[in-house]
Amino acid sequence: MEGVRPDAFFFVIGIGIMVEKSHYQIKQVIGLTIRKVGVVGAGTMGQGISEMLAFKGLDVLLTDRSEQHLNHGLRQIEQSLDKQIEKWALTKAEKKLILGRIRPVGSLEEMADCDMVIETISEDLNLKKQVFTELDRVCGPDIILASNTSTLSLTELAGATAYPERVIGLHFIYPAFKVDVVELIRGLKTSDETFETVRRFVENTLNKQGIMVYESPGFVTSRLICLFINEAANLLQEGVATAEDIDRAMRIGYSFKHGPFEMADRFGLDSVVAALEQMFREYGELKYRPSVVLKKMVRAGQLGVKTGEGFFKYDEDGDRI
Amino acid sequence: MKILVINAGSSSIKYQLYNMKDESVLASGRVERIGTESAIVTHEPAAGPGVREVSGILDHVTAVRRVLDLLLHREHGVVASIAEIEAVGHRVVHGGETFKASVLVDDEVKRSIRDLFDLAPLHNPAALMGINAVEQNMPNMPQAVVFDTAFHQTMPRHAYLYPIPMALYRRHKIRRYGFHGTSHFYVSERAAEMIGRPIAELKMITCHIGNGASCTAIQGGKSIDTSMGLTPLEGLMMGTRSGDIDPAVVPFVMSKEELTLGEVNSMLNKHSGMLAISGFSGDMREIVEAMEDGDRNAKLAFDMFCYRLRKYVGAYAAAMNGLDVLVFTAGIGENSAHVRKAVCEGLTFLGVQLDETANQRHSKDARFISAPDSRVKVLVVPTNEELIIARDTFRLVSERKAAGDSPVSRGQ
Repeated sequence: MEGVRPDAFFFVIGIGIMVEKSHYQIKQVIGLTIRKVGVVGAGTMGQGISEMLAFKGLDVLLTDRSEQHLNHGLRQIEQSLDKQIEKWALTKAEKKLILGRIRPVGSLEEMADCDMVIETISEDLNLKKQVFTELDRVCGPDIILASNTSTLSLTELAGATAYPERVIGLHFIYPAFKVDVVELIRGLKTSDETFETVRRFVENTLNKQGIMVYESPGFVTSRLICLFINEAANLLQEGVATAEDIDRAMRIGYSFKHGPFEMADRFGLDSVVAALEQMFREYGELKYRPSVVLKKMVRAGQLGVKTGEGFFKYDEDGDRI
Repeated sequence: MKILVINAGSSSIKYQLYNMKDESVLASGRVERIGTESAIVTHEPAAGPGVREVSGILDHVTAVRRVLDLLLHREHGVVASIAEIEAVGHRVVHGGETFKASVLVDDEVKRSIRDLFDLAPLHNPAALMGINAVEQNMPNMPQAVVFDTAFHQTMPRHAYLYPIPMALYRRHKIRRYGFHGTSHFYVSERAAEMIGRPIAELKMITCHIGNGASCTAIQGGKSIDTSMGLTPLEGLMMGTRSGDIDPAVVPFVMSKEELTLGEVNSMLNKHSGMLAISGFSGDMREIVEAMEDGDRNAKLAFDMFCYRLRKYVGAYAAAMNGLDVLVFTAGIGENSAHVRKAVCEGLTFLGVQLDETANQRHSKDARFISAPDSRVKVLVVPTNEELIIARDTFRLVSERKAAGDSPVSRGQ
C-alpha cells in the first residue's frame, strides 16, 4: 500500500527493542509524563493526596519519618476509602485497586523511581529544607520536586537543592480528594518546563483547576481562609455568638460547606495556628496574629477531627457527634 | 481484503482482524492495563497457539504498535505485511446528532467526535485515542468509525425528546440517544433473515441484555424507540445500574445522605440494579443460582429484572401497534433460559408462545425459541457488533475506491 510508512515493516523485527525505543520516543515528544508520584509525609494532607492520586490511576510511593506514622497513614486512607464505599462513591473492587497502587516505602532513597515527588510534611522550614536536600541528592535532576507548603517560601526551599529549576509549589486544598483546585506556585528559579509539566498534570491527569500564584506567604487560599478562621475565633472570644451559631450563619448565609470552626477542626488547629504564625512573621501585621482561643486549644492538644475534639466533637469516622 | 476492528477503552484495546472474503476472524485479542508497566496483551490467532504477555505499555500508540507486531509476528502472526490490512474500523460510543451512519475518518470527523466528549466523557476520548494511535502507526491507513448511537437516529422527535424545558435540548443537546445500536441493528437483520421475510414489513423488539441492557422497538428495520437515553443509565434494570427511577429520587437522596454529584452518579451506576436488590451480586448467573437455592433477595432481583423488561416489551408493542418478532441477545439474552421464560410467560396476551424445549437448548447459533404456532416469533440471536463494524468499514472503503476510480465523480 502506498500509504504505509516504510518503517512500519520494521515492527516485525525485534519486538522487545521496538517497545523500548517507542517508550523513549514518547518521552521525547511530549515531555515528561507523570505516572508515578512519591508522597513524603503520611499526615492529613499526605493521606488525602495519596488517596486522590491512586484514585486517578497513578502509582504512589508513600513514606513518613517512622513506620508507625506510615502505618497510621495507610490505615487512615483505608478508612477514608471505606467511608466512600458507604457513600456509594466506590465499590470494594475499586478500593482494592486504589490501595494496590499505594506502596509504602521506608526511605527517601526509593523516591528516585518516581516522576515527581510531593512533600507534605508539617510546616517547618528547617525540616522541609532537610527533606528537599535529601530528595535533591537521591532523585535525578529531571524528577520534579513539589512542596505542598501553604505559607513557606518556595525559593528558600529550592535554595536547599542543587537543581532549583525543578522545584515547584503544589498546594492542594483539604480534602484533596474532593476539592478540584490546586495552587501552582512558581519559585524564583522554577523553570517554564517544570511549570508546564505540572500544570498539564494537574489539569489533564488530575482534572483539577490550576491557579497560578506568585510566591507570597499563604498564597491566595491559605491567606484568606486563615484570616477568616482567626476572625471567627476573635468573635467567639468576644462572646458575640456561639461557635455553633457562627458556623451556621456563615454556612447557610454564604454557602460554605462548613463554617469557620468546623473548617478549622478539619484542617487541624495546629496547622491553622502554624500558618497564621508564619504569615504574622512574614507580613508583620497584627491581623495575622493567631487568636488566643486557637493557641489555647492547640496547647491543650484539642486539634480538631484528628484528636476527636476541636471546637466540636467528632467520632472515629470524622463525623460530628 | 482484511479489516482490523478496534474497540478502544481508556486503558484497553480490543481487536479483531477480519478476512472480508468470507467474513472470518483471522485473529482477535486485547491489550489491557494500558498506561502501566504491567500491561497484558492477549493475542489469539484463529489457528495456532495464542500469546499472553505482560510488559510496559504506556499509551495507545504503543498498544496499537504491539497489536501490529503480533499480527505480523513470525509465529503468531496472520498477515505477511501491514499492506494486507485494507482499513481499520473503530467502535465509537457516542455519535450525538452528528452521525446517523458510519463514516470514514477525516479531520472534520475527528473534530466532531471531540465535540461530543461532553456527552460521553469516558468513552469518546478513548475512541479518539484509538484513532490517533492507528494514524500514528499507519499514516494514510483508511479508518472508519461506527457509532453505538447511529442506528437510533431514526427515532422520531416524540420519542427522543424529554418533556423538560426545550432550552436544555437547544443548549446542551439533552435528549434520548440510545446505545447498543450496532447490536440491535445486527440482530434485527439476522432475525428477519431467519424468518425469511423482508424486514420492511416486520414489527420487532430486540432485547440486548448483558452487563448493560437495552430494548429497542424496530419498525420496518428502523429504530423508533429504545430504552436507554442521554446516558446508558436509563431504561431497563441492569447488573449494577438502576435503569428508570423517579428523577426526584436523585435530589432527594443527595440532600438526605449529603451526597455529591460523583457519589450519586456512582450509586446509580455501580451500586444499584440487581446488585442492590440481591445484596450480593449483579451477575445473572449467580442470581439464578442463589434463587434456586432459595435466596429470597435473589428471587426479588430476578423478578424485578424480568418484570421491568416485560413492561418495556409491552410498551413497545403498543408504540408499534403490534409485534411480529421478539429477539433476545447479549450475555443474559443469549444464555439465560430462565430470564427468557419469565419474560415470555407474561406476554401470551400478545401472542407469544414459548417452545420450552427449544428455550432450554444451549447453542451458539441463532435459533427460534417460540412454538411453531406462536403468532409472535421469538428468537435468540448471538450479537456480533465487530462484524458490523468490519462490514461498514469494508463498504465505506470500497465505495470510496469506486468513486475515486470513476472519472465522473472526480470532477465533482
